[in-house]
Amino acid sequence: MNIVLLGMNHKSAPLELRERLTIACGEEQQTVDHVKSLPQVKEALYLATCNRVEVLAAVDNPDRAMDQLKDFIVTHGNLPLDDMEACIYRYRDDEAVRHLFRVAASLDSMVMGEPQILGQVKDAYRASVERKATGVLLNRLLHHAFRAAKRVRTETAISSNAVSVGYTAVTLAKKIMGGLAGKTVLIVGAGEMAELVTRHLVKNGVESIIVANRTVENARSLAESFDGQVVGFESLPGAVGEADIIITSTGASGYVIDRGMITAALRRRRNRLLFMIDIAVPRDIDPVAAAMDNVYLYNIDDLQAVVDENLKTRHVEAEQAGRIIDEEVENFERWRHSLAVVPAIVDLREKVESITRREFDRCGGWLDALGEEDRQNVEILVNGIINKILHEPVTGLKEVCEDGGAEEYVAALRRLFGLEDDFRR
Amino acid sequence: MEYCVFTTALVVYCVSTAVFAVSMLVKRVVLAKLAVAALGFAVLVHTVFILWHWAGSGISPVVNIYEALSFVAWAVSGSYLVFQAITKTRVLGAFVSPPVLLLMIVASAGIAGPDEIDRSLETYWVTVHVIFTLTGTAFFALACCAALMYLVQDRLIRKRKISDFSRLLPSLGDLDKISHVSVVWGFLLLTVGIVSGSLWARTAWGDHLLWDAKQVATLAAWVLCALLLHQRLAIGWKGKRAAYLSIGAFIILLFSFVGVNMFFPTVHRF
Repeated sequence: MNIVLLGMNHKSAPLELRERLTIACGEEQQTVDHVKSLPQVKEALYLATCNRVEVLAAVDNPDRAMDQLKDFIVTHGNLPLDDMEACIYRYRDDEAVRHLFRVAASLDSMVMGEPQILGQVKDAYRASVERKATGVLLNRLLHHAFRAAKRVRTETAISSNAVSVGYTAVTLAKKIMGGLAGKTVLIVGAGEMAELVTRHLVKNGVESIIVANRTVENARSLAESFDGQVVGFESLPGAVGEADIIITSTGASGYVIDRGMITAALRRRRNRLLFMIDIAVPRDIDPVAAAMDNVYLYNIDDLQAVVDENLKTRHVEAEQAGRIIDEEVENFERWRHSLAVVPAIVDLREKVESITRREFDRCGGWLDALGEEDRQNVEILVNGIINKILHEPVTGLKEVCEDGGAEEYVAALRRLFGLEDDFRR
Repeated sequence: MEYCVFTTALVVYCVSTAVFAVSMLVKRVVLAKLAVAALGFAVLVHTVFILWHWAGSGISPVVNIYEALSFVAWAVSGSYLVFQAITKTRVLGAFVSPPVLLLMIVASAGIAGPDEIDRSLETYWVTVHVIFTLTGTAFFALACCAALMYLVQDRLIRKRKISDFSRLLPSLGDLDKISHVSVVWGFLLLTVGIVSGSLWARTAWGDHLLWDAKQVATLAAWVLCALLLHQRLAIGWKGKRAAYLSIGAFIILLFSFVGVNMFFPTVHRF
């Protein structure tokens, strides 16, 4: 059996095409059933996310199967053939395996290293299993893919650095405070970016939220969504003293939080560390704060610079990840090749057994004359000789096939032992 | 034979330091875990050596400067391992293990030498004095390491270089806590060490304070540390200033421990 993979992703196809295909395919389970019902396809998996649509299948005749799968995609998506041709990539065997591993390890994602894709691959696999569309080959392949993805995640730093502004803020806050549990966030001005950053912080354990706004009414809905409290600008100095993390995004033209306010706040909070994020343009926080002890001030450009830097490191880590993928592909391929010899070995054993049975039947007469114990001893002796003789060719065959090139040996074996013709007759 | 055990400990410390260094370079947690395990094993072997040596001498495990160095190395690694178990800050080990190794190498130069011991030192007071003072010093060493890491991390965050090396270092909050706890423990142990020493000085030489250079230096460190703790509790001195002070206290202690004997006459053998 061979493995083939056809699909399109954010690199190969424009959004409209992927969109149409995803919608046309609809329910994953139906699609799996449909792919599975194609004559060449033995096992199937269908993966659709916002950035990719892929069909993975274990097939008997890869060339014909790929044509069928392509036809399936084209007719299913109701798309003009010319458009499609250029957008679909097709891989077979080790190439398909490598592509799947890269997808699962998030090396093929739009934001390299993003963690969701592995979950999506797992979901797709689960859907396939539920439709009974997987077998020996795909089961093993997918588990290998999960393992490769896990290795990439733990052995490289590919997903350890934040690549969004919100997540960078969380990382920084953790770098400064340690845990975020029990910390207080003060949002000054009810901007969208500030809300996004706060949402990240809340997800990471921040417990109390204060929203300060010039007009209290406007901030109420934001505060309610976080179960926080609202204060007006007149009580800002007090709020600054209570907060551990301050996010400012007002449209004010001058500094909303000045040096005096911060100094007073530090005294009140007995120098507990203070992390301030100034998202506003023009700035809301007096930049001298950056030089104060126990105060850490980042503005939007600083955060963006960190994100850019992190994206660069991800690409460096991707090379290391590529090596891990290569290793895992090799492991899997070795197993897959060894699979090719299994039927031949089974046939060989069956043939030998049938010969033994026949020969025992033929000499039934004198065997019966022996006592029960002697008869058993003869059987043990014969089976022992057979096993000894078969042992080396069988293990040798498995070894040879792990490195590929099974076909010649299997053919030779079938020829030499007469396994081609239906020996069972 | 017991020095064989010492050498084994030295070698394992060396392995641990090397693995720590490599783990920092390649940034792999597996290696850091391995290094911690190696350090744990080294401390175990080292403990065996100290107990054996103690049993052999019958008085005190620490009677000369080399044994003192080896004891400090043991106490630093031991207390680091306790912190590691509680806070999981493996990277601290990378800062702790090189000085430990250095101490062990210096100690190895003379630890097998003959012990001629002054009869006046054969008392439990001296043993208590030495062990508490040295363990206190070890905690200050740890506090100093954490404080150094604090300064590095603070600088990285301020320079907006948070992706690479900073990722390995613990958070500022944790480092400050580790440093503070080490200073508190170091301070308590040092206090016991100083008090027991001065009590014994009274019985042996007739006065609590002899204005011996080592006594003065140690007292200076003690006062600095008392000041630090007071400021922290009273007005919340944290972060950089606390870090500088604890590094300062350790440097004075270090000078008092190894420097004084080189430059000043002193009643202390070490």
